[in-house]
Amino acid sequence: MSKTNIDEINRNIYDFKNKDEYDFKIKKGLTKEIIEEISEQKNDPDWMLALRLKALEVYNKLELPTWGPDLSELDMNEIATYVRPKSKLNNSWEDVPEDIKNTFDKLGIPEAEKTSLAGVGAQYDSEVVYHSMKQELLDQGVIYTDMETAVREYPDLVKTHFMKCVPIYDHKFVALHAAVWSGGSFVYVPKGVKVEIPLQSYFRLNSPESGQFEHTLIIVDEGASLHFIEGCSAPKYNKVNLHAGCVELYVKDNAYLRYSTIENWSKNMLNLNTKKAIVGKNAKMEWVSGSFGSKISMLYPMSILNGEGAKTEFTGISFAGKGQNLDNGFKVVHNAPNTASVVNAKSISKNGGKCTYRSLVRIGENAKNSKSSVSCESLMLDDISVSDTIPVNDIQTDEVEFSHEAKIGKISDKTIFYLMSRGLSEEDAKAMIVRGFAYPISKELPVEYAVEMNNLINLELEGTIG
Amino acid sequence: MPKIKLNETPVRTSRNFNINNLKLENITVPEEIGEFESVTIQGENLKVDENCSDFEPRFGLSDFFTKQIKENANQKLRLQIDDKTGKEVKIDFDFDEENLSLVENIEIIAKEDAKATVIVKYEAKENLECFHNGRLRVVAEKNTEIHVIFVNFMNMCSSHFMTMENIVAENAKIHYTIVDFGGKNSVTNYSSYLDGNCSENAIDTIYLGKENQLFDLNYIAQLRGEKSNVEMEIQGALKDVAKKHFKGTIDFKKGCKKAKGNENEACMLLSDTAKSIALPMLLCAEEDVEGNHSSSAGKMGEKELFYVMSRGLEKKEAMKLMVRARFHKILEKIENEDLRESILKEMDERLD
Repeated sequence: MSKTNIDEINRNIYDFKNKDEYDFKIKKGLTKEIIEEISEQKNDPDWMLALRLKALEVYNKLELPTWGPDLSELDMNEIATYVRPKSKLNNSWEDVPEDIKNTFDKLGIPEAEKTSLAGVGAQYDSEVVYHSMKQELLDQGVIYTDMETAVREYPDLVKTHFMKCVPIYDHKFVALHAAVWSGGSFVYVPKGVKVEIPLQSYFRLNSPESGQFEHTLIIVDEGASLHFIEGCSAPKYNKVNLHAGCVELYVKDNAYLRYSTIENWSKNMLNLNTKKAIVGKNAKMEWVSGSFGSKISMLYPMSILNGEGAKTEFTGISFAGKGQNLDNGFKVVHNAPNTASVVNAKSISKNGGKCTYRSLVRIGENAKNSKSSVSCESLMLDDISVSDTIPVNDIQTDEVEFSHEAKIGKISDKTIFYLMSRGLSEEDAKAMIVRGFAYPISKELPVEYAVEMNNLINLELEGTIG
Repeated sequence: MPKIKLNETPVRTSRNFNINNLKLENITVPEEIGEFESVTIQGENLKVDENCSDFEPRFGLSDFFTKQIKENANQKLRLQIDDKTGKEVKIDFDFDEENLSLVENIEIIAKEDAKATVIVKYEAKENLECFHNGRLRVVAEKNTEIHVIFVNFMNMCSSHFMTMENIVAENAKIHYTIVDFGGKNSVTNYSSYLDGNCSENAIDTIYLGKENQLFDLNYIAQLRGEKSNVEMEIQGALKDVAKKHFKGTIDFKKGCKKAKGNENEACMLLSDTAKSIALPMLLCAEEDVEGNHSSSAGKMGEKELFYVMSRGLEKKEAMKLMVRARFHKILEKIENEDLRESILKEMDERLD
C-alpha cells in the first residue's frame, strides 16, 4: 500500500537564476577593513560607520546560540556581505536593467503594484533597485523609501530609531546585521494617516555565496495605520547563502500596523532574521507570517507591549520539507496594564522536514488585567519528519488571564474516511484537510499569497492512506 | 556551596527565557552525610534489601546530586513487590534533630502482574534546616499496576532535591500522585520511559508555594512503545513571593505508533508577587500519535470568590476552599483516607 504523498513546494518560479553579474562585490569574510569598505561604498555618515564597527566588536564577542538548529556550516569567511547590482535606484520599471526587471516580472511584482499595492520597493542582492509610491500617499506626508535614502534625507528620524528597538547586543546575528546592513525599506506614516492599500517590499538574493542584510524600519505615528507586506526569495545554489535582515517597527499610541511576510528562500539559505515591534498605548500590531523556504530558519518576531491597552496578534504557518529545519515562533512581552496578545501558529512537516515552534509569552509585574491566548498546532505528514513545540510562559503577576494549548498529530483516518464516504477521492480529501488546517492562516494573507499557498499545498496527492 | 546549575531541560531554548536550567546560590549541603535512622517501612510480604542497582539516571538533577546518591547515600532500599492484591506499602522519612540529612536511593521492582500502592512520605515539621537528596527508581515489569503516592511535607527552611525515574514495560501502568508542598527549594527531576507497548504513566501533581519558596519541576516522559500513553496533570497554587518553574516534556520517539500524550498545567496565583514560568514541550518524531498540552495561569475567579464569600466565608477561608476544589480531582484518587485528610490539613495550615 503506498502512502499519501504531499509533494514538495514547487519552487520553479523562485529557482530561476540570473548570471552572477554585479557592479561591485566585496571580498568574502568579515573584518574591520571589509566593514569600512562597505561603509565607504555606501557613503555612510560617521555615526553609521561607528555603529557598524561597534557591532562588529559585539559580533566577535557573542557566541552562537546554544540552542536550536546546528549552524556549524555557516562560515562567514565564505560569505560576501555586500553585492551591489548593476543598477541604481529607479522609480520606473523601464529604467531597471532588463535581466533584473525580468526577475521581478516573473515574481509578479510590477503586476501586483498595478492592481493591489500603494507602493513597492524591490531589492536585488544588497541594494534597492526600484522604489515607488502612489502620489496621494506622498501628498499625505507618507515616506516610503529605501533605507540608504532615509539615512541621508531623514537623519534625525533614522538616528533616533535605528537599532534602538533591536539593540546590537540582542544576539550574534543582530550584531552581524548592524555591521554589514545594506538596503531595506523605511516607512513613516504621519499622525492620523490611514494607508488603506498595502505597501510591499520584495527582497531577491541572486548572487551565490553571499548574504542579504536588509534593514526595514517602519514608524506608524499616533493614530495612523498601515499594512506592509514583505516577500523574499532566492534561487538555489550548492553553497550556503545567508539572510540576516532586521525589522524594527514602532507602532505609536492608537496606531495600527499589520506586517505580512511570505518567506520563500531557497533550500540553501540560512535565514537568521530578527523582527521586533514596540507597541504604544491602545495600539495594535498584527503579524502574519508564512515560512516555506530556507534550509534553516530561526525567526521569532517579537511584540513589546509598552503602552496601556496595547494589543498584538500573531498568525503564522511553517511548512518544512526535505532537508529543512524551520525553527520559528513568536515572542511577546506584556509591559503595561490591559494589554492583550493572541497567537495562532501552525506547522506542517513532511518528507523528513523538521518544524519547531519556539515561543515566549512574558507578562510582567505591572501588566495587570492583561490577557494572552496561545494556540499552536502541528501536522505530521509522514513518519520520517519531526515536529517540536517549545513554548515558555512566564507569568509574573496574578491579575492575568493566560492560556496556552498545543496539539501534534497526523491527518485523522476517520476524517478522510468520512470525506471519502461523501464522494471525494482520497487525494482530494487529504488536500482539503491540509488546506483546512492552513485556512486560518491563509485567510489572513494577501489574496495573491493565499492563492499561492493553496497551490503549494495542493499537491500531487496519490496513493491511499498510509 | 556557591552557585550551582541543575535540572537541565532535555532540549534547550533561548538563554534569555531563564528556563533551561535552575541556578541556585548558597545552598547548604552538609559536608558529611551522617546517619539517618528515622525511617519506617510498613507492608506485607515485602522483600527489602539494600541492593539497589547503580544505573545512572538518564537525566537527573546534576552530576553532583547523582554522585552524592551513588557514593554517600545514608539510606538504600530495594523493594521487590510481587503481591497481586494491591496492598499498600508505606515508607516514612521523618526529619528531626538527630536526622537532619537524608541522601537516599530507593528502587522499587514491581514483578510481573504485581499490583500495589506505595506511599513515600518526607516530613520535617520542626524549624530545622534539613537537607534531602533522594532518588526513587521504579521498574514496572509486564502487566503491573503501581500507584506511587509521593508526599513532600518538608518545612520551609529545608532543601528538597528529588530524582525520580520509571521504566515501564508492556501493559504496565504506573500512576504517580505527587504532593509537593515543602522545602524552601523543592527541585524535582522526573523521567519516565514508556518502553513497552501499551504502557501507561499518569502523573498527577499538586504543589503549594508560599513565602519565598521555589519549585523547579522538570518532568520528562519518553514514549517508545506502541500505544503507550502518558497523562500529566499539574495543579498548583502560589502565594506571597513564591515562584514555580514547570518544565514538562512529552517526547514521542520514532516507533511509538498510536501513542498518546496529554499534559495540562494550571497555576493559581494567589498574590500579585507570585511568579509562574512554564515550559510545556512536545517533541515528536512519529507521525501516528496524538499529543496535546495546555497551560494556564491566573488568579482565582472574582465571581467564584464573590459567590463563596456571599455564603458567609471570609476571604481566606474562601481562598482555601477554592484551592481545595482545584486540587480535589487529584486528591480523590488517593484511597487512603487518613493520608488524604493529612494532606488537606497540611494544605490548610500552609495557606493560613
